[in-house]
Amino acid sequence: MTDTRPGTSIDPTLPLRAKAGDRQAFAQLVDVMYPRSLRFALHMVGNREDAEEAVQDTFVRVYHNLGRFRDDARFEPWLFRILANRCRSLMEKRRRHAVVIQYGEVPERGGPPAAETERDWTEEVYRILATLPVEQKEAFLLRHVEDMAYEDIAAVTGVGLSALRMRVKRACDVLRARLSEVIRDE
Amino acid sequence: MSEGPDLLIERVRSTLREAPGTVPDPRRVAQLLSVVWESPEPSALRRWLDAWRVPSLSGVGATVVAGIALFAGFLTRGAVDERRAPEPFAATGSQTGEFPVQFASATLGETAPVLTQFVLDDAKAQRVSLVGDFNDWAAGATPLTRLESGVWTVSVPLPPGRHVYAFLVDDTLLVTDPRAPKSGDADYGREGSVVMVFAR
Repeated sequence: MTDTRPGTSIDPTLPLRAKAGDRQAFAQLVDVMYPRSLRFALHMVGNREDAEEAVQDTFVRVYHNLGRFRDDARFEPWLFRILANRCRSLMEKRRRHAVVIQYGEVPERGGPPAAETERDWTEEVYRILATLPVEQKEAFLLRHVEDMAYEDIAAVTGVGLSALRMRVKRACDVLRARLSEVIRDE
Repeated sequence: MSEGPDLLIERVRSTLREAPGTVPDPRRVAQLLSVVWESPEPSALRRWLDAWRVPSLSGVGATVVAGIALFAGFLTRGAVDERRAPEPFAATGSQTGEFPVQFASATLGETAPVLTQFVLDDAKAQRVSLVGDFNDWAAGATPLTRLESGVWTVSVPLPPGRHVYAFLVDDTLLVTDPRAPKSGDADYGREGSVVMVFAR
């Protein structure tokens, strides 16, 4: 049966075929999951180089551990669990370095005044995200950016549902409180 | 909950979903597959370590296993020093550099070419190409691709055996691979680097 939950767009036979040694199937998995993996990693670690490293390392680990992937399991939480671990490891490694958010140039949209406003908003979102505790940021990104069900986030993080809901709520509360000022200025 | 806060979170979500820099670089994706295919099978130790990161142990299961490990550690405390084994990983022959030259498996027999990755970290270079005995040291025959990080890379199929090579930077400067052993001979008028390609 096809899983139609938001954010889940993997043909469930792909991981099984990849597990059986079908490289084409694995390449398709990479094709489908790379963009989301990169987005999550980038928001977690804050710079593209580390994000790409985390994603690459994740897919190498996925490839070599496919034999342990249960046939009845869902691929997405499994991959994100490995990815989240890689991101946390990298963040710990970089912990002593200054926090520099390197998302690249924020694209301009519309005319100059609107673009300026949009840039302020976007930069503020990144700034606040970077200040959130890792576990809150992780839960918020998985829930609200990657559209994961709480049950799947629990599989990714190994944390209970009520604790996860609390983490997401706290992240939302911080974002609301601090972004409300930006909205007032618009 | 009022509509306002939901709209705000929705806007945050849109911002983060469309964040610049999250669009994958197709070259990077292609390189990732190359790295995956070429990555060596993890050692037994690596698999054991991964077993603690990858699979889904339940909270109770993890607690039980951690308890057993702690108890075993308590029983064997001091034993590790007494059985000191110098450099236990020295004989594995594994490549441990940040961008190791790795060897892919060849399935068509011992003479089948093996995809081999070459990497040069030179953010200032404008052009880099690979020259070696496998391409008759032809400048420009095997250009490397520059990644966003300033690292240049290319993967080429090489027959098993010993190959001497170098990087040609900006069409003028011939440099050896800092991550590879030196050749000790001079195929191109000076010392090159050596890569050993093994069939599997």
